[in-house]
Amino acid sequence: MHDLFFLPSWPPVVGDLLWYGALLLAGEITGIAVHRWLRLPRLIGWIIVGLIVGPYVTGALDQERLASLSVVLNVAIGIVLFELGQRVDLSWLRRNPWLLGTSILESGLSFAAMFFVLRLLDTPPLVAAIAAALGVTTAPAVVLALVRDMRSQGQVTERMLLFTALSSIYTFITVSVLLASLAHEYRGDWISILGHPSYLILGSLLFAAVFASMTLRLLHLLGHRQESQFICVIGLVAVAVWGATALQLSVALALMGYGTMMRTFDAQRHFVSLNFGRVGRIFLILLFVLTAASLDLRLLGAGALGGLALVLARFVGKSLGVFALARQSGLTNQKAWYLSIGLLPKAGVTIVLVHEVNAMYPQFGPALATVMVSAIVILELIGPPLAAYALRKSGEAFEEGQT
Amino acid sequence: MNDLEFKQSSPLSIGVELELQLVNTRDHDLTRAASDLLSFLRNRSYTGEIKPEITESMIEVSTGVHATYDPLVRELRSIRDTLVAAAKTLNIGVAGGGAHPFQRWTERRIFDRPRFRHVSGLYGYLAKQFTVFGQHIHVGCAGGDDALYLLHAWARYIPQLIALSACSPFYQGVDTAFESSRLNAVFAFPLSGRAPFLLKWDEFNHYFDRMRKAGIVESMKDFYWDIRPKPEYGTMEIRICDTPLTVERAAALALYVQSLSRWLLETRPYRLTEDIYLAYSFNRFQACRFGMEGELVDVLMETRRPIGEDILATLDLLAPHTKDNGEAKALAAIAAIVRDGNEARWMREQYNLNGSLPDLVWRQVRRFRGEE
Repeated sequence: MHDLFFLPSWPPVVGDLLWYGALLLAGEITGIAVHRWLRLPRLIGWIIVGLIVGPYVTGALDQERLASLSVVLNVAIGIVLFELGQRVDLSWLRRNPWLLGTSILESGLSFAAMFFVLRLLDTPPLVAAIAAALGVTTAPAVVLALVRDMRSQGQVTERMLLFTALSSIYTFITVSVLLASLAHEYRGDWISILGHPSYLILGSLLFAAVFASMTLRLLHLLGHRQESQFICVIGLVAVAVWGATALQLSVALALMGYGTMMRTFDAQRHFVSLNFGRVGRIFLILLFVLTAASLDLRLLGAGALGGLALVLARFVGKSLGVFALARQSGLTNQKAWYLSIGLLPKAGVTIVLVHEVNAMYPQFGPALATVMVSAIVILELIGPPLAAYALRKSGEAFEEGQT
Repeated sequence: MNDLEFKQSSPLSIGVELELQLVNTRDHDLTRAASDLLSFLRNRSYTGEIKPEITESMIEVSTGVHATYDPLVRELRSIRDTLVAAAKTLNIGVAGGGAHPFQRWTERRIFDRPRFRHVSGLYGYLAKQFTVFGQHIHVGCAGGDDALYLLHAWARYIPQLIALSACSPFYQGVDTAFESSRLNAVFAFPLSGRAPFLLKWDEFNHYFDRMRKAGIVESMKDFYWDIRPKPEYGTMEIRICDTPLTVERAAALALYVQSLSRWLLETRPYRLTEDIYLAYSFNRFQACRFGMEGELVDVLMETRRPIGEDILATLDLLAPHTKDNGEAKALAAIAAIVRDGNEARWMREQYNLNGSLPDLVWRQVRRFRGEE
């Protein structure tokens, strides 16, 4: 044995832990810089860090490392969906039915507009429908991070959260039905067409209900200890993400349903103030950095024109939907305008879905994937600053130093 | 110099202003919603007036001028229904109560108006801590001298009104041990407390002029007194009540003040001297802290008894002067508060059911809607 066995080998081994630490540090510092000097929301800083270290720009973070770091993404996404579910008040739809109309219109019209553009690009109808459905959702993580960061309250904020949650649900259901139809074109099997979506939807909801009532019972046992409540919920969310995945349910529907039902079942409002504060932010930073790292900016050039057309179509569809019933639902035109902008952000995570679909069904085609990905990249980049602008201009943001 | 002309108004007419809480429907913390609510109501017609207050989480409603109970309570209900319908559409809760049980004042945002920005700039954190909610009762007076008589004669009865309306036992997330914690937030202001002991409107005018020339105040609004004249309306205004949890109680309190004022002006039971203020702060504290069980010291009559008992005795004095059924109903409601306990007690009972402050606010919202 060497005499100096206690000295480390050189260069030291770079581990995941080092990366997590470095990404958090870089993300937070860049976030603050971007916020202080450019008056942009912090999450832009997180995205910038991700883009720079990602495999497609500097390559500091290679594909393999990215895949290994991404384990934490599942928990992060779980927390975001759970929190969004908790924030959304479905009884509001009953008290103001125009909101349900608005939500269906903004999702439906943006779907139709994108479908139209994709058909112009000669995409087969079924594939175009899947792509358009994937394009409908507003990014839950972006909306939540902005609302939290800017401490925003008001009609634009509340409706952004509501429509974001609803559009995620629509997209999820539509995509699972359409994918099943796509499978049907191959196999001609009616059981999978009807069975698969029903399993996904009913199974996820049942799963959510079980978790929600279990959680409430556990929290009651713990009593009024905010810290312990919060830690247990994080643990349970992680287990729920794992469980939903293992049962091949929809993580999105299961976790959002979990949050919503937690709130609904909590009849005496004991846990309504549960919020993910600082720890939530750690997960959000990692979520944004890691998804941005996987953005391939070269695709931006390749599919830019088609991508831009899709982005515009989506915006037009969403604005028409929001404006159509603005007055009836009790929203001023000015706020309707800010709300339309606020619904722009798109989740980078959608790209993962596009790639998955692409791998499963080759007829999705590389050209379409390119157009979709470039649309998502555009929205991932311009969505957050525009939505932040909308929250600020609508007077609903309440940032540090304001009176 | 006669800027403060006391306009004549119909004697003993009453009007009510209520400052109300706007809360979210998730955890029922205060929420910034006044602008949204007001722009929603802008193109709709409704009776009464709905106005912004100093922070975005607060809204003020006021009635017209009324002579009797029935039209007053009718108007208050109609304003409430307008607000409740709008709030349902916008997913906001509207609640009474003198203070929000667990809001953090650092989260409050000042409503964007020059006067509010001025107040906020001058008083700093006090302006945001002043996120408390009161009922103001206006009583019409034939002239300035009558108004000043009422102001000082009422002083003896202020503790009664505090105990009757008290509903702010929780503040910043804790039980304060007070029945009305709200008034403690008002003490901090330099121009709070009571008006100077002046009985002639000319003297009062002279006083106001000196204060203005000295640069201490610009208008009557700069005084945060418990009772304050409003010369442009021709009214005297009582400002110490917590906003009750229901509009019916707000109307009953206003009627009680009206009956009391009629009796005071008709019988003039006191020769007013400044001695009336000897026990003022002591009595006021007793009322805020202990409510109905607080001790009320009457320096002029040299008596001391629990406030609840004192209210019942006063009701006996007022009974022969009752004008109509509505008034009798309102006075019966006041007696019922003494008998069954005030709303501070109700709030503590509700809280003790499950120990959840958000749930308490939810019940306040329901109570304001008339559902509980």
